[in-house]
Amino acid sequence: MCREAISLQLDRPDPESHRPPQLRETLLESARVAPRTSLGLMRPPFIAGMIFILPLTQMAFFADVVRLGGGGSVLVAYVALGNAVASVAFVSILSVSLTTDMEKQWGTVDYILATPANRLALYLGRGAVPIVVSLASVAMALVYGVAFFGVDFPESAILPTAVSLGLLSVALVGVGFMAAGLSLYLRTSVILTNLVLFGSLALCGVDFPVGTLPEPLRLISAALPLTWGVAAVRAAFGGVAISTLALDWLYLVVCGLAFYLVALTLWQIFERGVLRSGQTGRY
Amino acid sequence: MASFRCAALYFVADPFWIVGALVAPTAFALVTYQILVIAGKPDGALVIVGALVMSMWAQALYGSGWATYQDRTLATLEPILGSPVGYVWVVSGRVLWNVVSGVLGAVIVYAILAFTQGVGLSSTQFEALVAIFPILVVSLAATGLLISAGFVFTRYATFYQNMGEVALYVVTGTMFSVALLPVWLLPFSLIFPPTWAVDALRYAVVAGYVGLSWGFVGDIFGAAVLTAVYLSAASWLFTKVEVHVVSRGDITAA
Repeated sequence: MCREAISLQLDRPDPESHRPPQLRETLLESARVAPRTSLGLMRPPFIAGMIFILPLTQMAFFADVVRLGGGGSVLVAYVALGNAVASVAFVSILSVSLTTDMEKQWGTVDYILATPANRLALYLGRGAVPIVVSLASVAMALVYGVAFFGVDFPESAILPTAVSLGLLSVALVGVGFMAAGLSLYLRTSVILTNLVLFGSLALCGVDFPVGTLPEPLRLISAALPLTWGVAAVRAAFGGVAISTLALDWLYLVVCGLAFYLVALTLWQIFERGVLRSGQTGRY
Repeated sequence: MASFRCAALYFVADPFWIVGALVAPTAFALVTYQILVIAGKPDGALVIVGALVMSMWAQALYGSGWATYQDRTLATLEPILGSPVGYVWVVSGRVLWNVVSGVLGAVIVYAILAFTQGVGLSSTQFEALVAIFPILVVSLAATGLLISAGFVFTRYATFYQNMGEVALYVVTGTMFSVALLPVWLLPFSLIFPPTWAVDALRYAVVAGYVGLSWGFVGDIFGAAVLTAVYLSAASWLFTKVEVHVVSRGDITAA
């Protein structure tokens, strides 16, 4: 083959390589690459910290608060279980929500916005490893709960708890996806993410029943996936029938889907804004 | 002082960033109050003191972790290390300001509790708090300073800061006496100057408080000695770090 022919062959665009990436490809590639790039914190020591340290310290803090108040072992176990479930939120939400911030800081968000890749697939892919890490984190937290805080984990609760936590972690990635989208417009998503993460402790029945909240806060609470996740796990630990649990799961799925829907809408709005103005919110 | 002033001016010009650091301590304090209500022993003074210490801790960590991380990201670390002023003085000013600005977290919690629950501090409690406040500030700043010497070497200061925040709340007894912690953890708690200062603060402000057995005077003495040790260690460590960085041209040991 002569040199000219080779050159022509190289210059000719390959139709296969120029097609827009498929949803599945984007999702899988993003899941494969993100832990080493945009999720820069997903290194073994950091993952170990998220799984072994974070849940224990938070559970210990609130369990000791209960002891300080003279609350009995039942209240300690209640608070420990709530915080164990809440530990799923830290990794699921934070890991995904901060990626846009990092992209902005590194100047790579412009390239993301110029790609035809589906945003949901991209961020769901990014959420894949955090979902696994968050499930490991909550599993460890439940072990801590049983070992140190008197949580009674009946065998019958294993399956419904696993289903509840699986649904919850996927739903919480939706919350992170929404915060990541808002980050296109805001200077950073850190504050919003912190508000959601730590506000959840007060609003989602983690440390005390939702019923003790004032009415307006109860409405906000009902819109948050963590509320239904915590309720479902508590119900599973209490030996409630699957038919009753299914209602919590339904609310959880609806809340999760709503967050994904809102997130997609916000992404479209803010992306259009960025492309029109030529700039994202900056530090 | 120039660094302190500079940090204060940045804060006044752009107070946005403090919000993120104050969310966790504020939420922890409010949830604590509600748990105490459910447990039957609500104590506004205890929670306000706890909120004050947690916010100041969060800001001390922010000042030592995030600020150094930003110096790396914005490439200002090298010029600072190359300047004739020791980096320890730059960080000292920042950490000191950050610790003081942490008071805002306590003010927010105080306002919420006063508005929704009608609880607050009496004038005697407030005077006691003001009297102990400088000791608390210096003990936290000294600890933040020592931690930040290590953060100069790592690109992951923010991560360690996030990982360590709640652990330090527990270990230094921000909301409850360290006497509640397991016995084996006590020696570890006592190596931190804020543990002693916080205990002294609670002895002074919270009525009927029973903390560490040596009482208020012992706490003040312990906090003063440990703070002096931490300041000396931080000064020595920063000198070593600077010598290492300048001689090796390497700030990426981790």
